[in-house]
Parts: sequence; structure tokens; C-alpha cells
Amino acid sequence: MSQPVVVYEPFKAGLPPMREYLRQLRHRRGFISEFARSELREQNFGSIFGQLWLVLNPLLLSGVYFLLIYVIGGTSDATRFGHLTSTLFLFYLIANSLTGGVKAITSGQRLILNTSFPRIMLPLSAVVVAIFRFIPTLVVALVIHAILGLPFSWQMLWAFPILLIAIVMSLGMAILISCVNVYFRDISSMLPYLTRSLLYLSPILFEAKKISSSIKQYEIVNPIFYLLDSWSRVMVHAEAPTAKGMLHATIFAFTIFIIGTYFFLSRERDFAVRL
Amino acid sequence: MISLSDFNHEHSRGSIAVSVQDLGLTYTTSIEKKPTLKARLKSLGRGKKHTRTVKALNAITLDVHYGTVLGIIGSNGAGKSSLMRVISGIVPPTKGRVEVYGSVSTLLALGVGFNPAMTGRENVYLGGLAAGMSQSEIDEKFEAIADFSELGEAIDAPMRTYSSGMFARLAFSVAAIVEPDILIVDEALSTGDAKFKEKSLNRMKELRTADRALILVSHALATIEDLCNEVIWLNQGQLMARGKPADVIAEYQKFMNVRKSASSDEDV
Repeated sequence: MSQPVVVYEPFKAGLPPMREYLRQLRHRRGFISEFARSELREQNFGSIFGQLWLVLNPLLLSGVYFLLIYVIGGTSDATRFGHLTSTLFLFYLIANSLTGGVKAITSGQRLILNTSFPRIMLPLSAVVVAIFRFIPTLVVALVIHAILGLPFSWQMLWAFPILLIAIVMSLGMAILISCVNVYFRDISSMLPYLTRSLLYLSPILFEAKKISSSIKQYEIVNPIFYLLDSWSRVMVHAEAPTAKGMLHATIFAFTIFIIGTYFFLSRERDFAVRL
Repeated sequence: MISLSDFNHEHSRGSIAVSVQDLGLTYTTSIEKKPTLKARLKSLGRGKKHTRTVKALNAITLDVHYGTVLGIIGSNGAGKSSLMRVISGIVPPTKGRVEVYGSVSTLLALGVGFNPAMTGRENVYLGGLAAGMSQSEIDEKFEAIADFSELGEAIDAPMRTYSSGMFARLAFSVAAIVEPDILIVDEALSTGDAKFKEKSLNRMKELRTADRALILVSHALATIEDLCNEVIWLNQGQLMARGKPADVIAEYQKFMNVRKSASSDEDV
């Protein structure tokens, strides 16, 4: 008798066989890119006006906050506007990953109930969509940086490792929240409040160095505080990030990624009977 | 996890397609259809149960051979769909072992249409890629799928605009055109108009070849008797009988205390 092509047995230690899981994930990478393309097409990003919106939307957002803080608030300086724009754009990479990820599993119900595939592809695809939406904003941030006459230096190359940390964090958060939403469906309704709170508690509308040390000591629990501070130092001030900031962001990003992925993989067998 | 594009074996009649050994499936699911954190917090300290444990399958052992069309019958909650999901790798077993000796295409109740906001074309591509097919394999099959579904220009309309019949037509077309080694169809012929239902049945008959195995779950006993050369009857997660279609169906009808009638024969 020939060898079976596939064998299904009870999972050991709560996790699927990881080597086979990763092989299947790699084999289906075409799904992730096609999903991202379809999703962006659905959001009209296939048209010229849709693509223009990718740039206009973050510009309008930073315009609103500029009006609120610097015009109505009565202070105005180019560095602070550069800081606001850059950090807001990176924040939206994380926020869009969360928004796309939260319903990744529940809205993929039909596929999950009908097809065998690594479920983690769905939140991964949501993060890829968020990255595609982030790229044009990065170009806008650099143009604003040049227009405002902010400095450029080789230290700005630190942006690449910081971006990598931000993507790992976005993946971890999207994977975790997509799984939690299967068990508590109202998480998606609470998400706007969570992201809004994160926006106000992170150094976006203010610079990290401007807050008092008594408040700053609590910021250690904010996973994106030092990530955004490092991003601002690199992208706005063209300085190297602090070692503490990079360490904090890296530890948080990988901890969330590992916990989120373990939680997801150990629960994904339940999805077909929970949806 | 099965990948449709991983293999394309030749199989001889009588060789094993699926081997199910002492299979058990027990799972925990929530009592509410949409569980919420709010409901959970409100009921804290009241001792209210939020989950229930379902023993869906118990000690099922069976082999499906190539050249066989296996029908699965049983009342609602008998474990038919659970068995199909375990064989397809959608839900892992909690006991026993399932060996699959070929590529599997599944058409389980809901079919394609993963994202209603996307078009039928996009959903076919996404469904195919998720199932492990390559882009070029889907390109190759797409025209045949679109033709078989008879959706015309609607294939490029968002699937939220489709009727349940249109959904069923596209879903069946995908499952039937990809020509897998093992085709699993669960209650998928119950929607769609009479003409398409007949076309689907004819396609299923075409697929009854020596190098393919078909597993068909249906409440339509006449369809089962017409298409299948072997039938199993499940009841409360246990295998009650296995054998020739007429014999097993008669036994099932006797157990259920129903006579042969139009309502028990056809999809309603």
C-alpha cells in the first residue's frame, strides 16, 4: 500500500505540527498577496482617485491635528508638525493592522468552514494590507520633512530596524486580537476606543521628551511609546534612537508576537466549531 | 493539511482513498451564537454556563476505496458534517487517526464566497489559493468553472449580490471542476434550481471513475441511492450500519420510523 499523503491525528501539546504548518503557510503565500490586492481593489485603491486617497487621507489627518494643536492651541513650529505627521503615520500602520486583524477570522467564516489551510494567513493578510496602505504615507512624511527643512542624516537608516519592529508588533497584535474576537465578538466594537486611547497615551500629539518624568515612568507599560519615540528621533530629528527605547520596543514587539502566535495556533483548531 | 497542487497521483480501483481509524471528535463550543465579553462580565459569579461539550464522533472506523461513491446518511446532529470536516483536515480529531491518500476538494455546506464584498472571480481565486492551488492552476480551470456555473457577467459582481442559488452554483462548479482525487460534497445540492441540480448530479456521475472517490452527505435518500455504491448511516456520532445503499437506507428509514416518500427522497 502506498504512503498516505496526509495523516490527521490529535494535536500534541496544543500546537499543530509546526514544520508542516510552516510548509503549508509558505506554499500558500500567493493567497496573502492576492488577498491584499483584492482588499485594496475593494477599497477602490485600484483607481487613480483611490490611490490619491491613500496619500490624502493621512495628510488630512495630520492637518486636523495640526489645526487642533498648533492653530487653535496657539503654538507653531516645524519640528513639532514633522513629529506629529511621522508618528501619526506609523501609529496608523499599527491601528490599521488591528482594525483589519480583529475581524480576519470571523469574516473568513466561509473559508474556514470549507477549506483546510493555516488560519494564521488571514490576520497576516490584514497586516500586509496595512503595510501597503502605510508605504505611500512614508513618502508623504519624507516630502513634508524636506518642505519643513528638517535635517537629513545617515542616522535616518535606523528607520528600517524600527519599521521591522513595528511590523512584528503589528503582526503580534493582529494575530492576538483576531483570535480573541472569536471568543468575544464585541472586541471589534471596543477596538476604536482602544486605538483612540493608545493614540492619546503615545508620543504623537506631544513629544516624549516634553512630558514630566513622573508621568513618563508609567509609559513603560505602553507597548508603542518607545517605538514612536525612537521613530520620531530618527525620522524627525535625524538622530540615532536610544538603546533603552529600542530595547523596550523590541521586547514588547517580540513578546506580543510570541504570545499572540502561541495563543492563536493553540486555539485555531476551535475556530471551525466556534464560528 | 491537504494541498490540492501537491500531488496528482494515479489510483487504481480498490486502493484506499481514506482510512478512518477509531476516530473520536469531542469539542467545546459556546452556547451563545455570538459570545461577548459584556455578557460574560454580566454573568460573573452567577454560575451561568457559557460553553458546552459536544461529543460529535465516537469510535468511527471505515475505509473508503477509489472507485467508490460513499453516501453518508443520518438525522440532524448525527455527526455527518463533523466526519467530513475531520477527513478534510478542517477540524483535527481528538482521538484516532485519519489517513488520506490523495488530493481532496471539499464542498461543505457553505461553499465558496469567503468575502461577500469581493467578486465571484476574486473569491474563486482566493478559495483556490487557500486550498493550495497555484495561480496558474486556477487560471487554467477558471473558464471551465465560470462556464459550468452559468453565472455569465455576474462572476465579476460582488458576491453579496448573489442569490443562494447563485452561491451554490459557483461553489459546486469550483469543487467539481478542480478534479480532485477525493471529492467531498455535504448538502451542497439542496439549493439551486432544478436545472442546475440535474446538471450537478450529471457532473457527479461523470466524476464516478475508478481513480476517484466521492463522499456525498445528503438527506435526499433517492439521490444517495442513485449515485452511491456504498452507504454508511451515522447516529449520534456512531457508525450504525454500512453496506449496499438500498439495505442501509431501508434500515435507516425503519429506525427513523419513516416510510419511503417524496419528502424523504428529495431535497426540500
